[in-house]
This record gives sequence, structure tokens and C-alpha cells, in this order.
Amino acid sequence: MKWNSRIRCALVCLGFTALFSTFSFRLVYLQMIKHDEYAGLAAEKHVYKQAIYAERGSILDANNEILAHNIPVETMVADATHLNNREALIPVLHEALKIPIRELSEKLEGDRRYIVLKREVPEAVAVALKEKLRAQNLHGIYFERDSTRMYPNGSMLCHVIGFTDFEHRGIQGVESSMEEYLHGQDGYRYIEHNRAGQEMVLYRGQERAPRNGYQVHLTIDLNLQNIVENEIDAAMREYTPQKATIILMRPRTGEILAMANRPHFDLNQRSETKPEEMKNRAIDMMEPGSTFKIVSAAAALNEHKVRPDTTIFCENGLWNFGGRPLHDHKAYGELSVRDILVKSSNIGAAKLAISVGEQKFYEYIRRFGFGERTGIELPGEIGGVIRPPQSWSRISITRIPMGHEVAVTPLQMTSAMATIANDGKLVTPRIVKSITGEDGRTVSTFSPVVLRQVISPETAAEIGDALRGVVSDRGTAAAAAVPGFTISGKTGTAQKVDPKGGYEHGKYVVSFTGYLPSEHPEFVGLVVLDDAHTTKPELNYGGLVAGPIFSRIAEKAARYLNLEPHEELGKLPAAGRVALTNPSRR
Amino acid sequence: MHAARRKAFNSVNAASLARWIAITASLAITGLIYVYLSLQLHDLGDRKKALENELTSVRAQNEVASAQIAALTSRSAMQRRLKEGYLKMIPISEHNIVRMNAPARPPEEDALQPIANKRAGK
Repeated sequence: MKWNSRIRCALVCLGFTALFSTFSFRLVYLQMIKHDEYAGLAAEKHVYKQAIYAERGSILDANNEILAHNIPVETMVADATHLNNREALIPVLHEALKIPIRELSEKLEGDRRYIVLKREVPEAVAVALKEKLRAQNLHGIYFERDSTRMYPNGSMLCHVIGFTDFEHRGIQGVESSMEEYLHGQDGYRYIEHNRAGQEMVLYRGQERAPRNGYQVHLTIDLNLQNIVENEIDAAMREYTPQKATIILMRPRTGEILAMANRPHFDLNQRSETKPEEMKNRAIDMMEPGSTFKIVSAAAALNEHKVRPDTTIFCENGLWNFGGRPLHDHKAYGELSVRDILVKSSNIGAAKLAISVGEQKFYEYIRRFGFGERTGIELPGEIGGVIRPPQSWSRISITRIPMGHEVAVTPLQMTSAMATIANDGKLVTPRIVKSITGEDGRTVSTFSPVVLRQVISPETAAEIGDALRGVVSDRGTAAAAAVPGFTISGKTGTAQKVDPKGGYEHGKYVVSFTGYLPSEHPEFVGLVVLDDAHTTKPELNYGGLVAGPIFSRIAEKAARYLNLEPHEELGKLPAAGRVALTNPSRR
Repeated sequence: MHAARRKAFNSVNAASLARWIAITASLAITGLIYVYLSLQLHDLGDRKKALENELTSVRAQNEVASAQIAALTSRSAMQRRLKEGYLKMIPISEHNIVRMNAPARPPEEDALQPIANKRAGK
């Protein structure tokens, strides 16, 4: 075959066509089929997703006083590959951050690209350091914006507020239970860097603004909390108990007005805190002692087994039941139901429970909320221990009415007393009042929740009337009285349970729970001191130790809440007296 | 010779030349404007970034200041100052206190809601 010029031209054209077609196909393949893959790879090199951190919400009290707040700090990091003068840099960092030179040298060795030098560097220190680095032309040190939690009141209300961990997540108290509201939602922004690592604002990509955390408003009133904290401190000095708890609650709504525990800790200095100090005793177990007698009395009255003036023989102080003796602290003969509470007769309370029957008595215990969590917005709440009648011994029906063989929380006990104060309605205790946004817009309001009608209003009034006698010269808590006001309350003195079994000799949990004014209760209070030390052992009673503490708190709280005293019940003492706790006790 | 030389000159189409010059000039100007605007955008971006940094810094200073205010006006700080003697409280005497009826709380705040508590008993 002879290759003429036309054939040669055609072949060349064909060759070019094939070549360009291949290129075209490759181009289409890269630009269309593999577009997303390669665009992604390219973006990885230049485009970064920059997190915009949301600010954690604040915690405030009922009067909008700040309890937990954020303070901006910076995390200082180094990129070892960008360091231009290690020798000059180390002394500068040592001086500003107080990090030992040896530690700095070790950290900055090698060519790691992300070395955390120090966290929570205060803003002022960071600004000064940035200036110094710029002046000395030192590169490779970067600052990342961060924030840390600040608690202006230190140890006050520490068990309620709780704290956050390293990653700003709540791990105790309201910080933990309200985490979903407080945390907020981080935002992000896609940015491109140039070769020098600087952002090219022109090429900013998709962006989502962060949503800062909501503000949580507590029902706690810091003024009342302050009264309680001062009194609990005074009690710790005077009686040196192992533990102490005081709670104030508004019975109508279940709002916790104050809650204090000892031992406690400083929220701003938690590094040396022992786990025992972090425990919120208000939601931990204790043996209630005689304060529990209100349950057996309420059950018997509500079931119409007795009337307040029905008399019961109290066996002159010693009753053998089920082969075991049951004592009263004094020999009582015939006592009315009212007086069983006033005198705190164990035998009388036991007989009231027997009149109701095991199953019914157990039902009333549960109806008062014992044996289940109250549902308060605090993590780690314990339900308590209330065994069903099937596992009771023969004598349990005589021991449980006086608060033995059961474990309840101080909060449950306060809630039970609030039920009496609230016409027999059990209201769920709550510590969070509302949630608001940054702009003050209300996101959520926590309304009072009536759980159930435990006893009839008439029975509640009868019990309240009897409890008024407790805080009188005839009762066990005359020292809990407040001039100008009627108080209903009940004392408790429980022998401490020995972890090895049985009870510890000479160690008591003394308590007093009551409300004021009896006619229209504004607040319920509970004072519990575990293993208080008195000058004489016979003084270690709830009425003599916890009663006066309650009295002082109630007096100051009544003044603060502007409750009008009854003229006929005596005037409220002058303000000077209530401004401080008893000076002689300091 | 004269005639031949005259033949060697090509005639210039002035209108076409002007058109091309105009097209080229406008393209050049467009390019320059594009470059200028791009640079302006970059410059504005940098200024925006600088302003953002300044704003963040001012905001941080503001937050530090409010945190300091919160710490200094906290109850604990007040009590410390009271103890140290920086502040003094004079008790109000009883005859200077006028008792007024407490304002009624909004009904919805205290209203009892007879519903089951889902949280309890968990």
C-alpha cells in the first residue's frame, strides 16, 4: 500500500483526535466524576472547621444574685516547628507563667505541633505575654480562648451548686442536673488559611453561631442561705458535730429557700477537697428518730382509729412487746394522742402504729414520700430504706414509729413536715425556679407539683395543733420557740447506727423540724446534727441542741420575710440581737 | 520606484484599530479593577478580622470586669469586709421598722398543679 499524503494527514488527525479525546475523558473524569473527592482533599489542605465555643450559662439565686459565672482565660499552646528562638523564649515563658525552666525545656523539645504549655492563663497575663512575644519577635506560641467557672461565694451553697470538670461539663449539684440547659451549643465556621497560617476572611465558608447556655435561677434565697450558713457555722463551733444539715423550704410550693451542710468545701479550690466533704447530706440517709412519730400519729388520726384527745396507756415507761423491752425517756401513764407527740412517747407512738396495722402503717410511710426519691433537681439523691412489712420482725411495728429500722433523707423529713404544714398535700421539693435565655426571656418555669393528698386537711390541722405543743413549756422543744410566733415542730434524738451492727453508745443524731407561723406556714425548717458534743450527755437532745438553732434561724428568717408577729405572743427581739448569733457562742 | 513604494504600504483601518485599542484598554481596565477590588476585599477581610479580634478582646475584658464585680459584691466578700471592719452595719431599731403587708405573689407562681410527678420515684 502506498502512503499518500492524504492518508498520512488522516492518520495524524486521528492520532490527535484520540489524544485529545483521552485528555477530554480524563478531564471529564476528574472534574465531574471525581470532583467531590478531590475537592475534599484540596479543602483538607486549606479549609479548617473552627469551633466557636458556646458560653456556659450562669446560675443565679431567687433574687438574681450570681452563684456561678464564667471568667475568660486562655490556654497557651506551642507549635515546636514554628519556634524561632527557644533559648530566648524559655526565660520569657518561665517569668510570665511560673513554669519551671526544666519543664519548659522538656515540653518544647522535638518537633511536636501541639504542646499545651498551660491552661487557664488569666486574660491579663495572656495580653502582657503576647506583647512581650511580639516585642522580642518570638514565634510559635499561640493562645486559645477558653473560660473557667467562678463561684463568687466560695463555699456557700457548695453542695447545691456543684462544679464542672475539665471539659466544662457539670459533675455535681445543679451544674450537673441542669447540664443540658447550662451547656449551650457550640457553633462553627469553615475558614481558609494562607501559607503563613493566617485566616483569609474573604474565603470564609459556612458558619453557625453558637447558642450560649441558659441561665438557671434557683429557688434559694441568698439572704436566708446566709442566715443558715452563719448558724450552721456557729453550731459547728459550739457542738463540733461530725456532720450537720439545715434546710429551709416553703411548704406551699416546695421551693427550697436554703440548704447548708457541713463539712463543706470551697468551690474555687477543689483540688484538696476530700470526697466526704463533697457529699450533700441533705439528700443522704440518716435515721430520723422521733421526728418520724408524726407518721404514726397522722396514720392513726387519718384512719379515724383515734382522736387527738383519745388517751393511750403508755405503760409507765416500760413495755415488753415481742419479748423485747421498749422504753420511754420518762414514765408516762395515760397520754392523749396530742401528748404522745408533745412528750415524744415511744410507747405511745408504737401503740398508734399498732392500731393502724402493719400494712396500713407502711402505706402511710410511703404516702409521706419515704422510700422514694423526692425528684429534686439534685443528682445523687437517695431514696432511703423502708422495708416492706413482709420483711419486718415482730417488733418492727414498735420500732419504726420512733424512727428506728428506717433510713430517710433530711429532705424527705422536711418534705413530710411540709405536708403537715400544707394541709396534708405532699408537694415535690424543688430547687430550680426557672430557666431564662441570655436576653432574659423565660425558657422554662418549674411550677409547684402536688404529688398527692397524704392525709386530710383536718388530720393535718390536728397534727399541727399537737406539734404546736411540742414547742411549749410542756413539750420537748421549748427552746425552739420564737417570740411573737407560733411554731409547730418535732424533735428527734436517734442513737447512731454502728456500721458493725447495732447502735453506737453515746453517739446521737439530734434534729428538730418545724414550721412557722403555725396558722399560715411560710417556711419549714430542719436542723440535723450528727454526733454533737455537749458539755453534759443529758443535754444531747434534739430539743436542747437543734431546737435553739432552729429558733435563731426562724427568728431571723421571720424578720427577713417580714412576717408580722402576734402582739400577744411577745414582741420580736430588737434587730441588734438577731443580727448576730449568740455572741457568747463564738 | 515611487509607485512601487506606495504599493508596499498597507493601509491602516483607523476605526478597527480604535476598536481593538478600546477593547484591549477596557479589558486591561477590567483586569486592573478586578485586581484592585480583590485586594480591597482582602484588605477589608483583614480589617474585619482585626476588628473581630478587638471585639473579642473587649468582650473578654468586659467579662473579666463583670466577674470581678460579681466576686467583689458577693455575699462572702461583703461579709469578709464586714469582719475586717471596712464596712459597718447599724441595726435598725424596732421603732424605725414599719411593717407593710407583703405584696401578693403572682397567682401562677404559687398555683398548685395537681399532676403526677414523672421525676419522682425514678
